Amino acid sequence: MTAAKQRTVRAAGATRGLRLHRFETPGGLAVTVAPRGRIPLVAVRLVLSSGAAADPQGKDGLADFTMRLLRRGTAHRDAHALDEAIEFVGASLGLFAGEDQVAVALTTPAEHLPAMLEVLAELVRVPSFPEEEVRTERERCLGQFANDVDDPSLLADRALLRTAWAGHPYGHDVSGTRGSVSRFGREDTVRFHADHFGPRPARLFVVGAVDPDEVAARVQEAFGRWADGPGQGAEVPPPGSLGRAGRVVVVDRPEQTQSQVRIAGPAYRRGAPVQFAAQVVNVTLGAGFTSRLVREVRVKRGLSYGVGSSFDTLRAGGLFSVSSFTKVETTGQLLSVMRQEVERMRDRGPTQAEVEKAQRYLAGLFPLRTETNESLAAALADMALYGLGDDWLDRYRDRVRAVTRAEARDAAARYCFPEPPLTVVVGPAERLRPQLERFGPVEVLSADDVL
Amino acid sequence: MVPDHDAPVVSLYTFFQVGSRNERPGITGISHLFEHMMFNGAEKYGPKEFDEVLESNGGRSNAYTTHDVTVYYEDFASEALDTVLDLESDRMRSLTIDDRSLRSEREVVKEERRLRVDNEPAGLMDEALHALVYTSHPYRWPVIGHMGDIEAIRRQDCEAYFRTFYAPNNAILWVSGDFEPGSLLRRIRNAYGDIPRGPAAPPVVNAEPPQRGERRAELRHPSRAPSLLVAYRGPQVTDPDTLALDVLQFVLGVGEGSRLQRALVYGKRLAVNVGVDWSWRRDPGIFAFHLELQPDADVRAAEEALYAELARVAEQGVEAREVEKARNNLRAHLLREFTSNSGRAHALGTYELFLGSWGHGLALPEAYGRIDAAKVQAAARRWLDPTQRSVVTLVPEDGQR
Repeated sequence: MTAAKQRTVRAAGATRGLRLHRFETPGGLAVTVAPRGRIPLVAVRLVLSSGAAADPQGKDGLADFTMRLLRRGTAHRDAHALDEAIEFVGASLGLFAGEDQVAVALTTPAEHLPAMLEVLAELVRVPSFPEEEVRTERERCLGQFANDVDDPSLLADRALLRTAWAGHPYGHDVSGTRGSVSRFGREDTVRFHADHFGPRPARLFVVGAVDPDEVAARVQEAFGRWADGPGQGAEVPPPGSLGRAGRVVVVDRPEQTQSQVRIAGPAYRRGAPVQFAAQVVNVTLGAGFTSRLVREVRVKRGLSYGVGSSFDTLRAGGLFSVSSFTKVETTGQLLSVMRQEVERMRDRGPTQAEVEKAQRYLAGLFPLRTETNESLAAALADMALYGLGDDWLDRYRDRVRAVTRAEARDAAARYCFPEPPLTVVVGPAERLRPQLERFGPVEVLSADDVL
Repeated sequence: MVPDHDAPVVSLYTFFQVGSRNERPGITGISHLFEHMMFNGAEKYGPKEFDEVLESNGGRSNAYTTHDVTVYYEDFASEALDTVLDLESDRMRSLTIDDRSLRSEREVVKEERRLRVDNEPAGLMDEALHALVYTSHPYRWPVIGHMGDIEAIRRQDCEAYFRTFYAPNNAILWVSGDFEPGSLLRRIRNAYGDIPRGPAAPPVVNAEPPQRGERRAELRHPSRAPSLLVAYRGPQVTDPDTLALDVLQFVLGVGEGSRLQRALVYGKRLAVNVGVDWSWRRDPGIFAFHLELQPDADVRAAEEALYAELARVAEQGVEAREVEKARNNLRAHLLREFTSNSGRAHALGTYELFLGSWGHGLALPEAYGRIDAAKVQAAARRWLDPTQRSVVTLVPEDGQR
């Protein structure tokens, strides 16, 4: 079969001279090939525009569970045959679910790319979800929840997500809960696959030392017959107000000698124009080793080994959060310093010198974000999924450099908790309560409430 | 120097041949605490200026410490190369250690220990395991050190440590990225040329006595599920069996189709996750298995299932196809390291440090090609000996204190 008509796009921001080759299969699968490098390893990424936000009512974690099962059997091969096909040649396969997407990431020695495209097409087109494998995977996931109890940082992140987005499709961890996962059956995975997998909501990316025409021919062979299926995934409604704003949620872990601490407030949707100014604010406040938070928390006071802030943005909304940890005795002190620094940023924004430093930091390190074939494939997928535009890689550094101090100050005023934030702490509730009451009404949960 | 002009960035690695194996009881953890002190100022760039200058010039830095080595690295926009050479050589030439920085950094490291060990069952188990396997060798104590020792380390200890181990003759520099090698060499000579050699580092004595039977330890912790850490005494990196053990590690534990994953996770459904850790070390290391178990799993049954799989390798050997699969994966793993500047500089420096030459690293695919099924079986027989085993079990107990 001859390759479909390709068009090319310049995307040099990632790599000198990088060009993207685009075409579509007859069934509507959009394909992007980015030839680059000399090392004979190729990254392949297939993404679908439905993720955990599309988990049905009462079936939290289904997107993730369905992804785990893709490699446990297809119409043509059982789990062991699939593992052998992939792993024997030195390829590796990752299956991921996020809130807005599911992704299959495959890295393969270049000479095995055609065979791996066949495997990939089989996984997404005709998975068989064998009963026995569904049962085994369910047990494994439930066992994982029991092991997760020992990870305070993970408990804090899950409690934050569930509380901040409560009642919204983003308000559960992608892996679901023990309650929801224990009820999963084969028919759930079959249904999720039928509802969300097809060429039209899918996009395929191939990055590495390849010939684009050769790849196009191989993609046609592997995916040419993939047709029909669902259209684009459903829109996710914008989240309402932040859950538990102004409150302190404590996940009780009586034996811990260190608390995990998070504070969060609402932010913008992925791709919103304010993102460049917001990143300048974020770097100044809480990224790298010279941020205001690192200086106040780690350098001046030795309160923690790590502290940082981040904007986590999705299709329908985002969160701005600050994270750290400290010994139980200094939890209240840490929280005061964190909140004080965010408030100082909100009231006055970064200085001109800080804006310029953040711009040099972001622009200088930007090429590293797409240095490997895998990270470029993931960036290209996000550009497509979130409508960031084909010039995203090329123009990122200029856009960051164009941010003015006034814009940064406005972004700080909007996102550095103009309303009281949600606070989450994981640690011994009884010892923490007296330190936390001054930050808002305290509500105590058990680890079981968030797993 | 590894020039590469794909993107306008550079990674620079400095390897110091010192780690927790060079410590002594009473100041365990000094290698790691000292690593933190390297960011606290020198003659030209004062306290905290290192990262300030680097990040202001579009770069980032970090460092890590192991039993054998302390590694500092920077990724940065290529126009910052001279600045980075100036920063790195300044702290090698003239590090200053003041009491105030040491006091603050000590608290930071204690939080790091609380994070990675005291509140992390896998960290507690690893600490217990090393104390079981090694009775005399410095691998006995954790890289991060014991809490009391972190508390006790003095400024004078740090100063002596710097003079002993941070001279240029104990360091290796690797740079990968967007530069012209001739010019870079001149700039490196300019930056570092005046720093005098130091004394040779004192040798590490390996007085580890032979092990005369299985050793066991139990940890009680308010977990929901038990877990298991089993280790066998292995060789040092330069031993001819190292590469056979690399292959064995892949056959047993790397990938969903590996033997232990199939037997323990999917077959008997005893484990949620299985990991095999065989890390190259300068002195005799360990070949370890970490099993996160199902909450209702019987730990003894999981142990027996693991031992049955290991005995099967020792007695019946492995298939040629499994060896070929491991080789394909080792080759892909080596290639993957070479897909970034940071990966290239790190991999080549590590080969030089552990194998004696970066060239030996590049020749690894051919060397693995000479490892056949018979060699893998012989290595399993020799090293996975039940009398040379140390076992740590994590037993869930009620969390109320």
